Parts: sequence; C-alpha cells; structure tokens
Amino acid sequence: MGQTLLTLTNVAKSFKEVEALIKVDLEIESGQVVGLVGGNGAGKTTLLRLMAGVMEPTKGTIYFQNNPVSSMRDKLGVVPESTGLYSRLTAWENIRYHSRIYGISDEVAWNRVSHFAQMLDLNDSLSRHTKGFSRGMRQKTALLRALAHGPDILLLDEPTAGLDVTSARTVRKLVGQLRDEGGTVIYSTHHLAEAQQVCDRIIIVHNGTIRADGSPNELLELTGKDSLEEAYVSLTSDKARTRTEDTKKESKLSKWWRMFLTGRTPKIEGVDESE
Amino acid sequence: MKVSDSWRFISTIAKKEIIEFLRDWRTLLALIVIPLLIFPALFIALPLLLQSEAAELDALELDVTWQGDINNELHDSFNDSKLIINFETIPEDLENLSDIGGDLDRIRNQETKAVFRLVENESGWKFSILYVSTSEASSEARSRIIDAISVWESEVVNGTLVEAGLEPESTLDPVQWDGNVESADAATKGEQAGLVLSLFIPMVIAIWTASSAIQPSIDMTAGERERGTLEALLCLPCSRIQLLAGKWLAVASITSAGVALQIGGLLFAITYLASSSIIGVPSLSISSILLLLSAVVIFAIMVVAFELALAMKAHSVKEAGSLLGPAILFIIFPALFTQVINLDSVESWWFAIPLVNILLAMRELLLDRIIVEHVLVWLISSVFYATLAAWFAAKQFKREDLVASLS
Repeated sequence: MGQTLLTLTNVAKSFKEVEALIKVDLEIESGQVVGLVGGNGAGKTTLLRLMAGVMEPTKGTIYFQNNPVSSMRDKLGVVPESTGLYSRLTAWENIRYHSRIYGISDEVAWNRVSHFAQMLDLNDSLSRHTKGFSRGMRQKTALLRALAHGPDILLLDEPTAGLDVTSARTVRKLVGQLRDEGGTVIYSTHHLAEAQQVCDRIIIVHNGTIRADGSPNELLELTGKDSLEEAYVSLTSDKARTRTEDTKKESKLSKWWRMFLTGRTPKIEGVDESE
Repeated sequence: MKVSDSWRFISTIAKKEIIEFLRDWRTLLALIVIPLLIFPALFIALPLLLQSEAAELDALELDVTWQGDINNELHDSFNDSKLIINFETIPEDLENLSDIGGDLDRIRNQETKAVFRLVENESGWKFSILYVSTSEASSEARSRIIDAISVWESEVVNGTLVEAGLEPESTLDPVQWDGNVESADAATKGEQAGLVLSLFIPMVIAIWTASSAIQPSIDMTAGERERGTLEALLCLPCSRIQLLAGKWLAVASITSAGVALQIGGLLFAITYLASSSIIGVPSLSISSILLLLSAVVIFAIMVVAFELALAMKAHSVKEAGSLLGPAILFIIFPALFTQVINLDSVESWWFAIPLVNILLAMRELLLDRIIVEHVLVWLISSVFYATLAAWFAAKQFKREDLVASLS
C-alpha cells in the first residue's frame, strides 16, 4: 500500500443546474495506475480537472498530501484531451515553456525528456514545429511535457483517443513503465479493455457518481459477472444523462431567429421539442 | 509566493507569446513593417500622386462654349489657358445669365465642359459660368475662366482708376500689413509643429494601439481556447492573474512596438521627406515627453486589458472578432471628437472622461503645455479606468467556464 497522495472528500461539482459530480470520495495512493472509466458526459473530465486544480469543487475538499490541490499544482503533470500544443513552437520549445514555468532548468528538463523521448520514438522530432505533427506525435509530445518536471502524479485525459494502434500501444507501454518505476497515473478512458490492460484500479463513473472502485477482479466479484464489459453494463444500467453544462435554454428570440434563418427542425414522432 | 517566482511566470508567458507571435510573417508585416513604412510611404507617394494629377489636369485642353458679347482681351487670356472656345449667341427667354435653360443636357453630358455667358451693358459687364461641380474637367474649366476674368477685371479696374487720376494700389488696398507676417508670430517653429502634430498624433496613437492589439488579444485568448491550448496552460502552477499579466505584457509590448515604429516613421518622414513648412519636429520639454509616454502607457494598459477581457469572454475567434471589431468605434469617435475641443478654454472635467482624457492630454502635451490641474485629473482618472479595465480582464480570466465541458 503506497502513500496517500490525493484525497477527495464529499466532492460535488455543479454547473448552474447541472450536477456534474455528486458526492465523490476517493483516495489515490502512490505507485498506482488508476483508470477513470465512463461514457460521454459521465463526469470523468470534470473529476480530472478538479484533481488538477483547474476547477474548484462546489462542495467538499480535494487535498494533495494535506494541502489544497490548487496550491500543489507543481506536483502534478496533466495531459488534457486536446494536448494543448502551440503549432508555431517546436516540440522541445513547447516542453521547455511549461518546464520553465515549473521552475525547472532547461538542462534538467532536457535530460528527463530525452530519456522518455527515446522510448516514445520522438527524439528526432523534438526540434520540429508541431504544426505538422500527427495526433500520435502530439499526444507523445504532451506526455513528455507533462513529465519534464518530474510530477508526483500524472493525470491523463483519454490519452489514446484518436491514436493509431502503434501509438496507443506506445503510450500504454510508457504508462506501464512509469508504474514499474513507482509513478502514479490517473488515466481516463472510454475503453474497458484498455483500462483492464493498463490499470491496477478502475473507477467507474456514471452520471456524476462513482459506481464502483477496485481492481478488475474486485469489480468482477462485486457484480458477479464474467467479463468487465458485463460488469460495467450492470453498474451503469440507468439511462445516461445527455445534458451538459454547455447546454443553455434557448431564448424565444434566439429560437425565432434560428427558425427564420434555417427553417423548423422536422419533428420526430414521440419527441417533445420543449424537452 | 515569491516576487521572483511571480516575475518568472509572467516573463516566461510573455516571452513565449511574443516569440510565437513573431514567427508568423503576416504578423510581422502587419504590426512591424506596415507601421514603420506607412508614413514615409505616404509622404513620398502622396505628393507624387498630387503632382502627377495636377500636371495631368494642367495639360488638358478643355472645350468651352462662349455665349453673348465678345471681349478680345479676355479671349486672348482664354486661349493662353488652353481653353478651346466655341462662340454662340445667348439663348432667349432666360431669367438671368445663371439660368441654365436649354444648355442643361449638353453640360451634364460633358459635350462642352462649361458655358461662359458675357453681356455688356451701360454699367459694365455681367457674366455667368455654367458647369458641373461633380466633374473634375468641368470644375477645372470654370476655374481657368475665373482666373482669366480676375486678371482682366483687375486690368479694367486699374484702367478706370488711372483714367480717374487715382493710384490703383493705394485706392484698392489702403490698409496694409507692415513687415513679414510670419515674423509677427510669437510661437516658435517647434510649437507650431506641435500644434499641427497634436491634431493627428493622438488619433494615430489611439487608433493604432486599439486596432493593433485586437489580433494578438484574440489569438492569445479566444484563439487559445479554440485551439485547446488554454486548458494545459491553466493546469500550470501559476495563477490566472499571472497568466493575464503575462499575456497583457506580450500584447502591450507588440502594440507599443507598433506604435513606436509608426511614430518613428512619422518623425523620419516629417524631418526628411516633408515638403511643407507647416509640419516639423515639435519642441517638447523633458517633462512633457515623460508625461506623454505615461499617457501612452496608461492608455495601452487600459485598451489592451479591455480587449483581452472582451476576447476572453468570447467562445471562439470568430465571436471575439465580432466583439472587438465594432469596439474600435468606441476609440475612433472620441478620437475624432477630441480634435475639435478648443484647448485654450477647456474645462478640467473634460480630462476625466474616459479616452477623451488621454487624447486631450496628448494634445496638450504636444503643445508643451503642462497644466498641473489637468495633469492631475487625467492621471488619476486614467489610472482609475486602467485599473477598472484590468479588474474586468481579471474577472474574465478567473471564469471557470474557460475550460468547462462535461465528459
């Protein structure tokens, strides 16, 4: 059992009337690869953003080793889903930009980065502008950027989404190596098979709540199912919500203007437009 | 948090933004090359264009219809002015000589550039010129006719005076200026130059600062949001205020460089290229120069912070463009309005109106006038407005929905 790094107590997050997360209690220990598994709109990314200190919870607390996580962001490495690379900078300049803000010297950052870059087969591309990078190369660069300052926890938001088989495999291999070296990774994904392959512990998130938390075997025992997929389905059998915090109620004027420009949307039988 | 840490965050962010921005050749062209060259080019190209247009107009031979009585001296003068005369009689049934009557169509169709009517009666001569004011050739024909008439009239008047035994010069111009008109002006050449520059330098600074800050403001806020780079940035251990300060520093540096280059280009043009004696380098005291720089810096703080805030409010580059494009009008209108305010009797409260205060301050300082009451009012009110703009920007940068999206 490793040391507790992140502690989430009674955490809730709302966006106006939408409850993105409801009463989340979690502890993340060092040396684990933890998978956050859930469908679209489940609340995985919101949970990761709260853990990264980018958002404040509406209720509850999030501590990193007894300090509010927002004050401990230098201990975290984050790879958002969008990767967030600047296309007019080279891969190394992107990495250096972040490591300088973390207060890491260029030399130290370079040594760390070149070690992992070799494993990701990105050594030759570090001096290239990221404009022409493939999705896989962008993801690998973002990973290197998150690792350059030697974080205690690495937060990865769907790191293999949109990657080809080889790139996805390389990313998973890197996560595996980080675990072997005692690193802690929180890994959000849609794919159960990937979570089963990479993660020591799987947290199933559905409609803003934690439905299950344990090793793959523990989840199977909990649900009495033969496969994780069946276990997941049984744990998330209620209808997934479709609303997000981006959904605003359309004003009458806006609705009139939309219909004036593009015409009325054809009605689907049995669906109430006002819903 | 240490001050050195804070400065490291701000300077690192600003440096990266500037480097990334300057790597785009279109940006370099728009924000560096154009401001530097626009005034020199204008000072070279505009006189050349005007001269060539004037020469072209001078060389034109214009068809003119002469109706009514003929005067030989005037006829000779017309011939010297490259007017090709076609004589006619005056149409009947005219109320007066300015009644266009049946000549309307051929003047409007430019079959003849102008119609000159002349009638001699007992008391002297009466004339009119029919022309089309919207036609350059027609206006030129009228102008040449008037010049010829003026010379002829002068000769007629002088002849009449001499016949009556009077001396033309003392009779027509009995009250005369003694000496050189220019030497009677107590304002120095530098002050006169300051007056001329004060009529457009504040406007140039205001409009250029506001317009050149738009693109970087959008790129560094809504652009980052749209490209998905903002979230990674917000995960870094710097605060959002530091992030805003870094971005503000970058936009302000880029904008200031553009304004400085434009002013440099203007000063170069008026020193080495201007052919007119009314524009030159203004003579300013050190205090005026320092206050002028302070006014520009405060203005830049305010405008850049406001534009960053508006751009951050937008969800996309397109939306930000739609917000900031029309916002430039809020700079242009006060800038135009300020040009007509009389500085000699301006009340102090004018120096408290947002934007107008800085523009008036710049005008006054270019005249090398330091009026303590005015300086205090514009300085305090501008710092207040700049703080307000920075607060608004900070509020926008602290918004949680900058990254919000459920998944």
